[in-house]
Amino acid sequence: MPDAAARPAGGRALVDLSSVTPYADHLGDGLVQMSFTLPVPYSLAARRAALELAAGMGFQEPEVVHYEQLTEGYTYFVMYGRCVHAVDFAALQDEGFDIEYMSEDEIEHFVQTHVGRRIVVVGASTGSDTHSVGIDAMLNLKGYHGHHGLEGYRCFQTYNLGSQVPNSVLLARAIDVGADAILVSQTVTQQNLHVHNLTELVEMVEAEGRRAQMILACGGPRVTGELAKELGYDAGFSKGTEPQHLATFIVRELAARVAASTIEAAGSTPA
Amino acid sequence: MLSEQTAPTRRLAFVGLAKNTGKTEALAALLRELELEGRRVGVTSVGRDGEEHDVIDPRIAKPRVRLAAGGLVATTDALLRASGAPHVLLEDTGMRTPLGRVLIARLRAAAAIEVAGPSAAADVRAVSDAMLALGAEQVLIDGALDRRAASSPEVADGLVMSTGAILARDIHEVVAQTSDAVELVRLPSVHDGTDAGRRLGALAAAAVAGATSALAGDEGEPVALPPGFVLAGAPEQIARALEENPAARWLIVAGALPEQFLRELLRPVRQRGRELTLVAADPTKVFLSSHSPGWYRRQGIQLRTLARIDLEAITVNPVAPQSHRFDSVRLRALLQDAIRGVPVFDVLHPDYMVARASAPKP
Repeated sequence: MPDAAARPAGGRALVDLSSVTPYADHLGDGLVQMSFTLPVPYSLAARRAALELAAGMGFQEPEVVHYEQLTEGYTYFVMYGRCVHAVDFAALQDEGFDIEYMSEDEIEHFVQTHVGRRIVVVGASTGSDTHSVGIDAMLNLKGYHGHHGLEGYRCFQTYNLGSQVPNSVLLARAIDVGADAILVSQTVTQQNLHVHNLTELVEMVEAEGRRAQMILACGGPRVTGELAKELGYDAGFSKGTEPQHLATFIVRELAARVAASTIEAAGSTPA
Repeated sequence: MLSEQTAPTRRLAFVGLAKNTGKTEALAALLRELELEGRRVGVTSVGRDGEEHDVIDPRIAKPRVRLAAGGLVATTDALLRASGAPHVLLEDTGMRTPLGRVLIARLRAAAAIEVAGPSAAADVRAVSDAMLALGAEQVLIDGALDRRAASSPEVADGLVMSTGAILARDIHEVVAQTSDAVELVRLPSVHDGTDAGRRLGALAAAAVAGATSALAGDEGEPVALPPGFVLAGAPEQIARALEENPAARWLIVAGALPEQFLRELLRPVRQRGRELTLVAADPTKVFLSSHSPGWYRRQGIQLRTLARIDLEAITVNPVAPQSHRFDSVRLRALLQDAIRGVPVFDVLHPDYMVARASAPKP
């Protein structure tokens, strides 16, 4: 229960960020809405099964608010349940999961100041992946979610090679146009199908001796920072990424590399 | 025992042929052995190790990486803090990863840690050398997924390869795929003691240093090939180059050698009726997935490398998570039969534990 001191008069209740629970009607109620399907016929027994399952998941006071037959032998449920766990959001905030993104104007200005030339970005969906939606959203003028893609920035020169591009062809083109960054999109599946394609590109860049010059970013519905690290990429982007998020990463990373190489060239070592 | 097998190797790379081949289990086993022997080690990972659950399939629990007191580790600031392990910070490398900046620390007490060092091969070499300079007797470099770059002789001095049931449902297929991978890792060197070998070694070293692929023969100057020729050359361009240089015996590849290029070579090589030897800097530059080096050799295309990888041991995981398993003893016997000159271990099998328990204490 939030104590009285945490509720300023006339204002919204303060949330204890070190112990956050789901919110529905009031702070701390822990209410979760969930939906799932069971491969059982629509019946009272099915409803009973859903309640037991939710209890098994650890939800208290599970409640079926809606259920219906999906098709013969399948029942769909919408349920509420009370989650008794809390999460320490404050600690996660401290770990720097969120970076501050720049706006388009800020990115243009940043590149002028820290890079001083256009940044070349090559993107493709590699291997057998036919999905180019992610790459198009990031690179093409039309963009995504009201933010146009990197093509629309003065500071980027972009090449969208489309889908089903072999890694060797993508890399040859990237070398040819002097790419600063390669962006690949892949649908990573649990069956591991596309992981090999993603790692192979990184290994080819290494084999060509270009790893220090090329920023490698990958994107896809299941790509996280952790997966990007395993795959050998400099960053990974997933659902909800807008073009300026990717752009912010690329310009900051390139500026850091430019600064590091300037220091090396000057013969001193970074602090 | 892994520790005996790999003892003189200063920088030891662990590479798995796929996910879940037990690469990190092998690393953890070696760490346990080295702790018993009282040796000071450094650990880094091109991916991330010691996490509780697999990043692609969360149903798979991962081995913990336990490091002894005094051990060195290259990992990110956030993971080091989260481990709660008492440590002394030795160096901020300035290297950036998706999980944070890479630091080098010395543990003040034994602890389980998550390891996520730099990914790029040159950075892996740099942190390995830094840990050796800071007092590590041996540095273990863990790979990630099926990545091989850190096993390049430019980075590591030796390799432990992990394979397992995950490769295929048929045990003979697992053995065949592993044999192919071993054949690739142990491609013959250009340095075969002959005059031609010496000439080829010098030409290849120059081509790799100059980042220019070339066609060469027993006499005369090598013919430089245009940029992109090997990575993505058009079939007619490749055929013409061979036609115009009938005396060429060797094709030196300065960078990556993709399998597509080998496929494009099949017909022109057959047409000219003369073998062609391709030379790459080392086996990590050669990308094969359809056929083995032996298959290409039978088509008249030999593969050689300028630098060799020292394959010191093979480890097997006879279990494919959420799927099938093989008898460990049988799998190892089949592998040992097919692959000569390198020991095969299952570090989680009781017979390995027994060997360790009865090993003489130093």
